[in-house]
Order: sequence, then C-alpha cells, then structure tokens
Amino acid sequence: MKDRISQLMDGELDDRAAAETIGALGRDGEALQAWRTYHLIGDAMHESRVLSAGFSVRFAERLSAEATVLAPRRARRESRTWFALSAAASFAAVALVGWLAFAPPTGLAPSPVAQAPRPALEAQSAPAMAPSAANDYLLAHQGFSPRVSIQGMAPYVRTVSEQTREPRK
Amino acid sequence: MRLGGALGLSAILCVGIARAQDPQALEWLRRIQDATHRLSYSGTFVYQNGSRSETSRITHYVDARGDIEKVEVMDGVPREIVRTRDAVRCYLPDAHVVKVEHPLDRGGAESGFPSLLPDRVNALARHYDISLGGIERVAGFECRKLTLAPRDELRYGHALYADTSSGMLLKAVTFGPKGETIEQFAFTQLVIGRVTRDQVKTRHAAQSWRVEDSGAAPASLAGWGLSSELPGFRKIAELKRRLGERGPVGQVVYSDGLAAVSVFIAPLEGRREAAPAGLASVGAVHIYTREVANHMVTVVGEAPAASVQRIADSVEFRPPQ
Repeated sequence: MKDRISQLMDGELDDRAAAETIGALGRDGEALQAWRTYHLIGDAMHESRVLSAGFSVRFAERLSAEATVLAPRRARRESRTWFALSAAASFAAVALVGWLAFAPPTGLAPSPVAQAPRPALEAQSAPAMAPSAANDYLLAHQGFSPRVSIQGMAPYVRTVSEQTREPRK
Repeated sequence: MRLGGALGLSAILCVGIARAQDPQALEWLRRIQDATHRLSYSGTFVYQNGSRSETSRITHYVDARGDIEKVEVMDGVPREIVRTRDAVRCYLPDAHVVKVEHPLDRGGAESGFPSLLPDRVNALARHYDISLGGIERVAGFECRKLTLAPRDELRYGHALYADTSSGMLLKAVTFGPKGETIEQFAFTQLVIGRVTRDQVKTRHAAQSWRVEDSGAAPASLAGWGLSSELPGFRKIAELKRRLGERGPVGQVVYSDGLAAVSVFIAPLEGRREAAPAGLASVGAVHIYTREVANHMVTVVGEAPAASVQRIADSVEFRPPQ
C-alpha cells in the first residue's frame, strides 16, 4: 500500500488505481498517516513552510464549525415560507405545519382489561383538528391537572409549541 | 401544620394501602407543592419536547390574599397566561382574544385549582414508586432529585429537581417506559423573592378584545360514562362549559393523583361532516377524538397514547331510563 501511496503522489498511477488508492486513504487510518508523512517529508525536502502540529485536526474542527453551504438550506426555508403563506389561506395547511405532532399510536401496550378488538389507529397525515381547536381543549384541560399544584402554570405553555403565526384578524 | 401533614402521611403509610415508600420522598413532594404556592419568584424556563424548545418567562406573586401567576411565551405566537385568584386568563394579542377559565367552586376554602392533598399523595404512592435521588445543579441551584416511577405502562414517569433550601421546583422531566425523555421543563434563570404586584399584571390593554369565557359549572352528564375505567384513574370533576366559541360542551376529568385525562363531549347536531377521528400529541399530552352517539368525543390527557386511546374507546352513552 505504501508503494501505491508513493506512486500516487508521484502521479504514476492510472485513474482506476488512483481512485482505489484514494478510496483506501479514506478507509485506512494507517495509509492516511503514511500519506501525511510522505507529504511532510516531501515538503521538508522542497523546503516548503511546515504547518504547525495538529493543523489538520484544527482545520477539520473549524471546517465542521463553519456555517453549512447556504444553497440547500435556503431551499428548505423557501418551502417553509411557502407552507406558512398557504397556511394563512388553508385550514389544512395550518394544521399540517402546526405545532401538533400527529403521531401514530406506536408502542401501544397490550391492555390488561378485556376489550373488544378494534383496528389500531393508522398514522394520520391529515390531523384530526385545527391547532386553534386543539389549543382550546388543552387550555380547558390544564386547569384540572394536579401537576399545576407542583409546577405552577408552566404546563400551560404546551398549548403554543411551534404554532404557525396567524395573521391578525 | 407541616408536622400534621407528615403525621397524616405516616398514618396513610401505616394503614398499608400504599406500598412501602420513602417518607422523606413524600415529604419532598409536599415541600415542592408548598414552595410552588408560597414563594414569590420570577424566572425564565425552557420547555422541550423532542427537538423543539420554547422559552417562557414565569412570575409568581404571593401576598396575604393569595397568589397571582403570569406566564409569557417568548417564542413563536405571542401568548400570555395570567392566573389570578378567581380565573385563568389567556391573552392572544394576534387574535385580540382573551380566553377565560374559571375554577370550579368545590364548596370549600380550598381554591378550585387542584392540589396534592394527603389523600391524593396516597393515591400517588399506589401508582408511582416515589424515591429520592442525588443532588444535581440546575440554573445555579443545588437540587434534590425526586423520581416518580410508574408501576405500570398506563402512565408516564417523572423526575423532579427541587432546590434543597427552598423546595422550589427547578426542573421537571417526563419520561416514557424505556426511560426516554418525553418532555422537559427547566429553569435557566430564577430569582426567588423580589416580585411586585405590577409584574404579574397583563401587559395587554385588552378591554376591546373578544372574551371567550368558559362559563364552567358543575353538571351531571346524564347517560355518559366509561364502560371500563383505566386502573387508578378516578373521576375528579364533571361539568358543562363553553369551548372557544362553541358550547355547551361536557367535560369529565379523571386523575390518578398526578396525571389527568379530560373527556370532552360535544354534540354534532347541525353539522354535516363526520367527526374526524384521530390522535394528536404535544409533548406528554395526547389528544384523541372519535364519534360516539352523534357526539364528538375528544380525550385530552398527559398520559401515554395507549391510555388516552383506551379511555376514549371506553366512552359510551346509555340513554337514561
């Protein structure tokens, strides 16, 4: 492998062999270390300026801390805005991007009490009710929860998690 | 008073209804409740469920006449909730609406808001294994961890972190059967004391806003009931009320002492569309709807989806004889 790396550096490999060797560098830590060492040797022989110790590690860290390229994120934002706009017009869309997470009833525990068998509820892509209606139910319910007596009003914020802001009526 | 409460708890334990519980853990639960009611405080807390988190400000003011509490949601849709001695008011500035909830008059000195009275603590110990944990720091406060682990899969577990010197609850985590976090409330900043009356007043001039008053009043919902109750959940309230702009709607509340499940019953008469059935959730709260006897039944509870669905499925109407 070390010969291959050496040949790769000297441009002596054909495309296919080069691709294989580069692939190996990605997988094999020892090969990668050899690649770096050879370059360090080469740089020293050419009297290039040597990078400080740990440069590659710090570079990788800073690179990963950099903001991601904007293009894909911007695309996502646009679609979000689109949803938010249509939400103003469309009841269903409000519900769709609303704060409620409509979850399938996964992990249903087998009931210890005898019950008429009924089909399990399917995951819903369309929600059962609009967020504003669900909020009314939540508000009406919270005041009866004994949790309020140990936690105060904090649970009341549950009603508003990530709701699409509606335009003023 | 505190001694009396402790004796009461001991008596309950001696009767043997509750399984063996650490008396210190129960005392901590009572301390948390006391602190929640008796301390003036202001702070910022973060509510998290899944990848979502939301910051709110909470202010609690106590004087000789009682307490007032205000919560302002800082992220997303602006909303402010103020609980005074006689009502909970939810201000929605975008819609220019105030929603008003009145606590039910339960015919006693105790306010209509629920509390963990000794008999409820008894019920708690039957369904949760309550134990004291170690010391952890939350928002700069040294906190004692208290765990309420459910004895079955019908309810969620809770981990409470309370300030060792004041008993103030700094963090509350709800966890599922595998120990996974369902939701969490945690203070990021808290100051105990130094709250004025003005700080708990609403900042909205809402005189011209539309008022949606629940008009809740105790009532018997003749014919409605559960074919089988969920173990540990007993009925704690039955009322008629308005809901948003709709009404009248029936509401029956069941509780195991910590979690509560509300069953709402709204007539479908005059509506052409079929009641949509389905399950929704926000954090530890699940909402399940189904149609029963030409009524829309909506069950809301801070319990696992299966529990909420079981209650919903057992709702039945038997015409009164």
